[in-house]
Amino acid sequence: MTIEECYKMLGGDYADAIGRLRSERLVCKFVLKFPSDGSYDLLLRSLSEQNSEEAFRAAHTIKGMCQNLAFTALANSSSVMTELLRKGDLKGAEQYLSVVSADYERTVRAIEGFGRSTAGA
Amino acid sequence: MTAQKRHSRERILIVDDSEMNRSILADMLADEFDVTEAVDGEEALEILAKEKDAFSLVLLDIVMPRKDGFDVLAEMNRTNLIEDLPVVMVSAETASAQIERAYELGATDFIMRPFDAFIVHRRVLNTIFLYVKQRKLLGIIEAQIAEKEQNSALMVDILSHIVEFRNGESGPHIRNVRIITDILLRKLLRKTDRYALTERDVSAIIMASALHDIGKIGIDDKILNKPGRLTKEEFAAMQKHTLIGANMLEGLSSHSGDLLVRRAYEICRWHHERWDGGGYPDGLKGDDIPVSAQIVALADVYDALTSERVYKSAVPPEEAKEMILAGKCGAFNPLLAECLVEEFDQIRGALAKDGAQMESHREVRNYADAAIYPKGTGVSERTLKLLDYERMKYNFYAELTEEIQFEYLIEEKILKLSPSGAKRLGVEQELADPARDLRLQTQLGIGWYERLMEHVRATSPALPEFRHECQLRIGGELRWYNIIVRTFWTDGDVPVIESVIGKAVDIHDTHVAMTELKEKSIRDPLTGLLNREGVSEQLPQKLAAFPERKFALAVFDIDFFKKVNDVYGHLFGDKVLCEVAERLVHSTRVHDLCARIGGDEFLIVFDYEGDIRSIIARVFKSLCGKVEDFDVTVSMGVVEMTDETQDYEDLFRKADIALYASKQGGRANYHFYDDSMGDGVPHREG
Repeated sequence: MTIEECYKMLGGDYADAIGRLRSERLVCKFVLKFPSDGSYDLLLRSLSEQNSEEAFRAAHTIKGMCQNLAFTALANSSSVMTELLRKGDLKGAEQYLSVVSADYERTVRAIEGFGRSTAGA
Repeated sequence: MTAQKRHSRERILIVDDSEMNRSILADMLADEFDVTEAVDGEEALEILAKEKDAFSLVLLDIVMPRKDGFDVLAEMNRTNLIEDLPVVMVSAETASAQIERAYELGATDFIMRPFDAFIVHRRVLNTIFLYVKQRKLLGIIEAQIAEKEQNSALMVDILSHIVEFRNGESGPHIRNVRIITDILLRKLLRKTDRYALTERDVSAIIMASALHDIGKIGIDDKILNKPGRLTKEEFAAMQKHTLIGANMLEGLSSHSGDLLVRRAYEICRWHHERWDGGGYPDGLKGDDIPVSAQIVALADVYDALTSERVYKSAVPPEEAKEMILAGKCGAFNPLLAECLVEEFDQIRGALAKDGAQMESHREVRNYADAAIYPKGTGVSERTLKLLDYERMKYNFYAELTEEIQFEYLIEEKILKLSPSGAKRLGVEQELADPARDLRLQTQLGIGWYERLMEHVRATSPALPEFRHECQLRIGGELRWYNIIVRTFWTDGDVPVIESVIGKAVDIHDTHVAMTELKEKSIRDPLTGLLNREGVSEQLPQKLAAFPERKFALAVFDIDFFKKVNDVYGHLFGDKVLCEVAERLVHSTRVHDLCARIGGDEFLIVFDYEGDIRSIIARVFKSLCGKVEDFDVTVSMGVVEMTDETQDYEDLFRKADIALYASKQGGRANYHFYDDSMGDGVPHREG
């Protein structure tokens, strides 16, 4: 799988990412790093602990990372999540979590596929 | 590459809770900057507290655990760090309220996520540049002010210590009044805008406060240092010190416009007035008393109370404050009394420590701030505008001209060129170590730097300019340039050249035209020989060039030339003149002077060895001979130069006498001048 294919699969905009980060090496490096970031786990944990402040920060971080990497789909859903949590709407956030989770898993699956093909190459 | 080298030592602090975000930023900047990372606001503040001078810039996220970006900004405001260290916010926040808040808290810039690597890089660089520039500016202003004020401050110190010594006041009364005045005045200006004072006024008032008692110089020793109570008469005499001081300052007529003198006058005269009008010497009331004098009065009373004197012990500060507030030691502006209460701790602290140096630094800093961030319509704003205008004007003209303008910093070895100048020379606008630049060597010739510096070193602070015309092969074409240069020197006992500015003006066309014109002006247009002016200009050079040789001067004219013109016409006359000129050139050497100095009158100056007679015989012979049908002969007079006959006019006259002798002798011959001929020659014809 190429990096472009990976972006297509996770619903991102590769042209945007390479346009801003200016180097394929950098884009690949950060894309591959994304799954190991702990913010998604923190979001899940904070929501289950009803800690809206911590959950807000986690969602916000995800949003920021996704915007930088041009993971458009997950950037959009985590952005909605961030705004819900900014208002302290825990209930809304829990309901919306399934959307974020679906985008997140799709993203991670795509990256893992890309990771395998680069490791193999 | 140069950019990298220049900034390799700048350090940037990246504050973001997301490791990935930090790492993206760090990757973008690591090539050119040293990067330190902090995982949240708290760690950032810890790092800044430990090494606050280490960083050139902070990249700051907003949403973070423990302390967020706003907390960091708030703390940096509290410690004033925000004034010296630029903060660029990097955040996914798009709410304008958040962005506004960041700017209000002193953030320099705001970069929105998702960001562009190029833009981040550029903004970081720009921000750092800006601050470096500002720091430089601050440094320049500090140095200038410090230097200017140092002299005044020294004189004021000497003067006030003389007074202090004579008054028998022990302890640092003058210093204390100065410190209290400083604190109260600044507090008052923060409290109210009733008093329109610029930073220069403030600075002058603080310095002038030291002079408040100079009038005591004129008070009788016996009264001044009387241990016991003063009598009514003595007290009245003592009160005169206010007017005496004011008169002393008024007497400085040549400085009467000086700000310091004007402020000192106010203070001397009115520092014993009372807010309620019950003071002396003029009984002024309320704000009729200049604010400078109001403040010094309070400072004077407070310090007198809290200091020990021969005739009294010191009152504790707290008690002194209460006495003043209760109106036991005079009547003061209520606003000033408030200032005293509010700044009481600061005054006590400042008086307690030996902070002379800190104080002057703060003063300078205030001054510099006022210049950099002008408020209102102060002088500084106007000055900055004017400076800006001058710079724009300069750039405009620089672009218009073909001149190569340059500036060279001697110690730094940096050459700066005007944009068009850099283009003509085919180099960058800023060059390090230009002496070794091969491109410049090609354009300006090997050794150009040494030649330039030779001229530069010949200047002095009194005569800092020079002009020098030379040929340069800029752009492959050898042309004439006028190099105009001014040097700038350091002050001090042994001035050193700091920098050089100048320009190279292409004067080739005018130079060539001038040379041609000059050449024309000394030549006879018909024959191409020199004319009379040419001889008088070139003769001294010729004599100087061969100081050991013998010289002779000969004049001759063509016999019966008038007839030639009459019989054969002017055209033929001209032809004869040209032919004779040609014969003359052929029979003399290149470096001899040959001239046509009048209608048919010619002149030769030549150096010789051996027998002059044979030389003249040869020349004479070659000049004679037919031109078509006309038989040309000449009459000639010769004079040998001796050391006594160096004067051209004199030589000419003597040659003329000899020529006359030849004419008298029937023409077509030559005579040598000797003194027996006298000078009884009648006027020459023609």
